[in-house]
Amino acid sequence: MSKSYAEQFYYLMKLGRVFELRAKEEYMKGNIGGFLHLAIGEEAVHVGAVLGFGKGDIFVHYREHVYALARGMEPKYVMAELFGKITGVSKGKGGSMHLYDPKFNFYGGNAIVGAHLPHAVGAAYARKYTGDTTGVLASFGDGATNSGNFFEAINMAATWQVPVIFLCENNYYAIGTRVDRASPFADLYKKAKDYMPAVQIDGMDVFEVFETVKKAKEYVETEGKPYFIEALTYRYEPHSMSDTGDYRSPRELKIAKDKDPIENLKKKGLEKGLLTQEYIKFVDDKVQQIVEEAVEFALNSPEPPLEELYNDVFCEVCIDVIS
Amino acid sequence: MLYREALNKAMDEMMEKDPSVVILGEDVGFYGGNYKVTEGLYAKYGRKRVIDTPIAENSIVGTAIGMAIGGLRPIAEIMTVNFSLLAMDQIVNQLAKIRYMSGGKIVLPVVIRMPQGVAKQLAAQHSQSLERFFASVPGLRVFVASDATTAYYGLKYAITTDDPVIFLEHTLLYPEKMEIEEEKNFSPYRARIKKEGEGITIVSYLKMLHDTLKVVPIIEKELNTTCEVIDLCSINPLDISTIANSVKKTKRLVVITEEPKTGSYANEIINKVLEEVFYELDAPPLKIGSEDVPTPYNRTLELASIPTPEKIASLIIKWGRKHGI
Amino acid sequence: MEYKITMPQLTDTMETGKIVRWLKKEGDYVQENEPVVEVETDKAVMEVPSFRSGILKKIFVEEGEEVPVGTQIAVIETDVEKGKEKSSHKEEISKDIKEKHKESKEELEKKVLEQIKQEEEKIELPESSASPSAKKLAKELGIDIKKYQEQGLLPVPAHEKDIKELFYKNFFTKEALEILQKYNLSLEEVVKQIKKEKISKKDILKFIQNNNIPQIVPISDVQKRVIENLQRSISIPVFHIYEEIKTGNIPDIEGITLTVWLIKILGDTMQNHYRTRAKLEGDIYKVYPNSNICVAIAVEEELFVPVIKNVNLKSLKEIADDLNKLKEKAKQRKLTLEDLTGSTFSLSNLGMFNILSFDAIIPPERVGIVAIGTEIRGKTKITFSFDHRIINGREAAIFVDEFKNRFLDKDYLNKLKKEVV
Repeated sequence: MSKSYAEQFYYLMKLGRVFELRAKEEYMKGNIGGFLHLAIGEEAVHVGAVLGFGKGDIFVHYREHVYALARGMEPKYVMAELFGKITGVSKGKGGSMHLYDPKFNFYGGNAIVGAHLPHAVGAAYARKYTGDTTGVLASFGDGATNSGNFFEAINMAATWQVPVIFLCENNYYAIGTRVDRASPFADLYKKAKDYMPAVQIDGMDVFEVFETVKKAKEYVETEGKPYFIEALTYRYEPHSMSDTGDYRSPRELKIAKDKDPIENLKKKGLEKGLLTQEYIKFVDDKVQQIVEEAVEFALNSPEPPLEELYNDVFCEVCIDVIS
Repeated sequence: MLYREALNKAMDEMMEKDPSVVILGEDVGFYGGNYKVTEGLYAKYGRKRVIDTPIAENSIVGTAIGMAIGGLRPIAEIMTVNFSLLAMDQIVNQLAKIRYMSGGKIVLPVVIRMPQGVAKQLAAQHSQSLERFFASVPGLRVFVASDATTAYYGLKYAITTDDPVIFLEHTLLYPEKMEIEEEKNFSPYRARIKKEGEGITIVSYLKMLHDTLKVVPIIEKELNTTCEVIDLCSINPLDISTIANSVKKTKRLVVITEEPKTGSYANEIINKVLEEVFYELDAPPLKIGSEDVPTPYNRTLELASIPTPEKIASLIIKWGRKHGI
Repeated sequence: MEYKITMPQLTDTMETGKIVRWLKKEGDYVQENEPVVEVETDKAVMEVPSFRSGILKKIFVEEGEEVPVGTQIAVIETDVEKGKEKSSHKEEISKDIKEKHKESKEELEKKVLEQIKQEEEKIELPESSASPSAKKLAKELGIDIKKYQEQGLLPVPAHEKDIKELFYKNFFTKEALEILQKYNLSLEEVVKQIKKEKISKKDILKFIQNNNIPQIVPISDVQKRVIENLQRSISIPVFHIYEEIKTGNIPDIEGITLTVWLIKILGDTMQNHYRTRAKLEGDIYKVYPNSNICVAIAVEEELFVPVIKNVNLKSLKEIADDLNKLKEKAKQRKLTLEDLTGSTFSLSNLGMFNILSFDAIIPPERVGIVAIGTEIRGKTKITFSFDHRIINGREAAIFVDEFKNRFLDKDYLNKLKKEVV
């Protein structure tokens, strides 16, 4: 593991953490509306996966701010989208759950549990068809593994032999239902192991996530077949801002927070000499500044003009035919 | 030529021209399609382009969306419209919305082809017409192919356009013999005047159009008037100007669909006409549709539940007599 | 017990029947075999008798309506006591009403008049009393819909055509309007073309002549059936034999027309030629023993072809009587199924119209027809048409030859004469 990777991990995870904490604040101020799903506590999975995956299409669920930031989307445009401004990545029409940018091969941001899994399979099929062997990353929560979409998608991916990495972030809760109350077994990788290689890893350790996803990427691209990873993680925040989160005990939360991925990374990085106190201090200040600027940008951005309501429903070429 | 062969020809020509066009669906490949619409394409283009899928409608549409994201132009065949209900999430929540939610960044040139309507004694779960569901979803183009000409040109247009298209066919039209009439500047967004007339405007599509045309001479004789019959190629968007202009002339409107009457797409047509030309009307618009019941298996009951040519004629004649024709 | 009367199958080709007239009213007592209703079929108007005695309880199909064979058209209560009870009950009620009516007739009239007055002031016709387009047009033409509806000159609701009619009617005299109806002309069109403040009958007639406008003549139901039958006749492979008969030898007998003679002689001749008494049915011939001949009768431009039965067994007098009866029935449109079926040969005489000769069309299911021209100097041209599927040329020629020769056989003719005198 090189120094630069560890530094990147720290920068992106810290950016994500600060960004989301600030988003929470702005939500409470009323600047952000709707659902706001925070990934605080899960940063190791999101950042580790994106960096380990590298080039290729990414299909993510609705808890995707950190994915988007790690992918390189500018914090100010992501924040502006949360604020519903025209400068947002989706022109203010998608919101927190729908961050899209084909420039970054980033295809959402899907608010229907598991619905993006077949999209990933189709995209992988298309890439393969056009002679592009690049893999596709699809990440989803533990709840999605109980949906029809999940079984349909792993079945099709394995049948058609397409390069998809199925990354399950098992944070133990589908909103308020603990994983063992919705599934006959809590080790979710078992659901896929008859279809494809399937492993379970510690999702609080960014190094492990990074290495596993990197290995998986090599596998899917050389073999042209899918791969399944279950990353055990934890979200500190409730499911969304409208969830009380009172289904979890303070003790349980404390145990999880004791394994905080950022603290974990700091400790390991410092121990191994991959990070320095100066760098950490530099990043902590830097991300505060970036997030501050992002909020400022979002606040000062204009609302979408009213005519934007009718744009992007259909493609440009067809607009004139609507009567 | 058969109606289904017109559809096949459209897909064949588009696949020949554009290697990014692929077909996916249940039984579409090796088997040749349950209604033989994709017959011969598997042999010609291979399994990579004519893709057999598991019985998983939701993911047929879902993977088609992914394929479009990946640069292909997929044509997904859902065996019958009844099964599209299993794919409604992908159609309504995904296909129709992703372009908008992404601020126009993602384009999904997906066609979903499916037959609908009452065939013969297929019972309630296999006899539905669901155009109202699709037509009411912003973000979807909804085409209906009433004959070989609209099937051929309409499907080609659907494959070419960058927007998602729900392409509705009718099960009973597949084996019908018809010819493709050459059209230079075909646009699915223009309604087609199948027959000109002065006294009543009749709007219909798919099988109901054919049933209507059969009895138009009887209606004309009995009411001593002439009917203008309009076929729709697209129901979203709706070519309201052609319909409204016709109603301005005839002052009377009849809309015939195979959907159950309550909430049927006919309501939408009538409502739009009322908005446009209310003061021109000389009679309340007449809506003809199926009874509000699940389609029964028994043939007699089945026929009693849908508009048949006789019913169409008698309903229009009675209505005409009641309202001053 | 209730007994259902259904639309009967009255002819072999009948699919639907039209109720012409109910001969009994609801509540009337009907004797068994007594006619209850007149039905128009594809051949004629026929009386339908009841098969049961009882009270005609309910009529389901009104006069003028056409229904398929087998449709219930009425019901008879055969339990007369029960039926009577009901009908007498009905009578009681109506009596009651009548009496009450009588009692307060003047009073009532007063009340009604008052009410009408009041209503005239009160009634606001609903907004929906005319279609949107009718309202629009009325406004353009300055027509007060409400006013005319109150006067009964516009229907409720009024449609565009009613407004137009009301407006354009003012341009015509009463006589002019009557003519217009016959020609199915649009008032609007005529007004636009004639361009006069008041259009008279003369104007209209001139307009019709100048523009060569056809009068619309509806086709009667009987004529429609004739047309259908003629179309069926087209499929018969026909050949003709043209001949001349010597009719000069036929003795004069009062009341016996040439047609009667021809029918009798034709009938007698048919006895020696079985194919002229045959009917083609699928892959067999049905050969009848008697000579039954149908005769074309014209009544007011309509054509009927009733049958004279057993011509071979009848005298000239009997045939003449039959023919007169059938003509009378045809005039009254009362020919029955019995009157119209069962012949194998047909005869049509246009001699009285001074034509030399003509071809006639074989009615469906007949072997042939003979067409009679005018008698000139004791000679008459005749044309036989035969269905080649039933009779060949040779047999037909022998048949025609015998027919011809019978007119030369004075003994035979005298024998016929003797039977009458």
